[in-house]
Amino acid sequence: MTITNDEIKAIGAIDLMLGIPTGDPKRWYEFLRKQLLDRESREEFEFPAQYMFKNVPHFEESMDDPVSYVLAQMDHHGIAKAMLGNSFHNDETQNTIKAHPDRFFGSFEVDPNRGMEGVRELEAAVRELGVKAATAFPAGMSPQVPINDKKFYPIYAKCVELDIPICVCAGVPGPRVPFAPQEVALIDEVCWFFPDLKFVTRHGCEPWADLAVKLMLKWPNLHYSTSAFAPKFYPKDVIDYANTRGAEKVMYAGYFPMGLTLDRIFSELPGVPFRDHVWPKFLRENAQRVFQLDA
Amino acid sequence: MPESADPKAGAYFDAWHGGVVDTMIGMPASSAERNTKHYAQMNAGILDKEAREKFTFPAQYMFKDVPDYGEVDDPVALLLAEMDRFNITRGMINVATNEVARAAAANHPDRFIASFNADPNRGMDCVRELEIAVKELGVRSAQVFPAGLLPQVPINDKKLYPLYAKCVELDIPIFVNAGVPGPRVPMACQDVAHIDEVCWFFPDLKFVMRHGAEPWTRLAAKLMLKWPNLYYSTSAFAPKHYPADIVHFANTRGADKMIYAGYFPMGLSLERIFSELPSVPFRDHVWPKFLRENAERILGLETA
Repeated sequence: MTITNDEIKAIGAIDLMLGIPTGDPKRWYEFLRKQLLDRESREEFEFPAQYMFKNVPHFEESMDDPVSYVLAQMDHHGIAKAMLGNSFHNDETQNTIKAHPDRFFGSFEVDPNRGMEGVRELEAAVRELGVKAATAFPAGMSPQVPINDKKFYPIYAKCVELDIPICVCAGVPGPRVPFAPQEVALIDEVCWFFPDLKFVTRHGCEPWADLAVKLMLKWPNLHYSTSAFAPKFYPKDVIDYANTRGAEKVMYAGYFPMGLTLDRIFSELPGVPFRDHVWPKFLRENAQRVFQLDA
Repeated sequence: MPESADPKAGAYFDAWHGGVVDTMIGMPASSAERNTKHYAQMNAGILDKEAREKFTFPAQYMFKDVPDYGEVDDPVALLLAEMDRFNITRGMINVATNEVARAAAANHPDRFIASFNADPNRGMDCVRELEIAVKELGVRSAQVFPAGLLPQVPINDKKLYPLYAKCVELDIPIFVNAGVPGPRVPMACQDVAHIDEVCWFFPDLKFVMRHGAEPWTRLAAKLMLKWPNLYYSTSAFAPKHYPADIVHFANTRGADKMIYAGYFPMGLSLERIFSELPSVPFRDHVWPKFLRENAERILGLETA
């Protein structure tokens, strides 16, 4: 029942959360700053959830060719394709995806605080940038927007119309902001009202992983991705579910370069007690299906 | 209004002669059909005995002389004849659930404006149906009766948000009942205060209040001043009961916000409405906007 790194490599993983390390990491979290009230987060942390992570990847600002570096890392670990956050303001990411359509695809971060403007942008991102998914970080928005808040409803409706999944952070967030908008319990109402919405949880669903499993059993279009979790911390409830009825529902996502190295993730992965039939679904096939990626 | 020797002269009659757009009119039905079909759903939400057992029309305690036709052979001909009698050039009818109205709107596009009564409890199905109705049936507006839904859906409830978003995308107005509802069901979902949040989140949404907004008409006027795309229509009110706050607002800053709507045949006869209308103390410039122009602009009707 154990898998080797060579066997993992042969599957050709799809990584549902990856970034290209460019610029100053502190800049990545500017949006969160005004929500953080504690002194340590404001003054000492480079990365707002750094108290949770050991050995956060670190790069010289002047890395010559970050895309080649990431592609080499992906090749080394057998990541066939990765999802990058794309936007209309980010020429670098747009160009990276255009230059390597076989290796990267885009997602689009939504902001429900912007109302219909945000809905129109999401639609334009799908049509013009070719993004395959929406993403959302409810606790990181300013103001925060609960998963089941009305502000989200026009965006969920648009995802249904566009037939794209939305990846939403769920569970207690790492950054020291209130957790209430990301309670897993809030997902139930959304799945009820939007039965066709493909909803993919991000960032663990902890400490409500048992509820996440119960809801995945209840709602056919609810899925789980493992972003921001080192494999040795994958919640036991989620592993058990993947091994029993949930092989189609659990998907690999990393957290490079935000908080984890790919070396760490892929050295720990073989230790995850997934059953044999789960691995190809977990690493590749479920993402291919849910995100409608070309084979 | 200027004095005149001819009782049929003056700004009201000038405007009236130009034709009236009635943004709430319905297909007359035989009483049996009306009672069993049109009011049955709402009766499920009514608990008091009098309304359940004695009323045929759930708000009938408020209305005198509700039109009643016994048997109706040709509802479309009947309605058109009534409209002609009172110079109503176009009437807005709900085509979502009424086959007769749907056919009438298709056969008389110059006389009827198709509206789509939406049920937000049905989620995306309802959103898709509205979109199809606009594209295929020529529907020009959505309408919602929050207190009459089962379960009720407050004006600012999340269930309505996908529908509001779709109205913005389709660039059509939505007509929404606001104020204490006549039928004996809870009022909370139609509190005029809820409208504020909706207008804030959907600044491009053309939101038209229906059924009076009472007793929060001062708030309704305040909100219309605040939100450029918020409007008021006079449905279900006999003109002598038009709220003073609303008439005052129309006469001062709100001439572009007031839209005539009747309530025939649901609760008022056109005879009554048009005999009372000339006495409404609107200033001269308000009349053509109220009777026709504002509706034409908001519903995107070409001026014929």
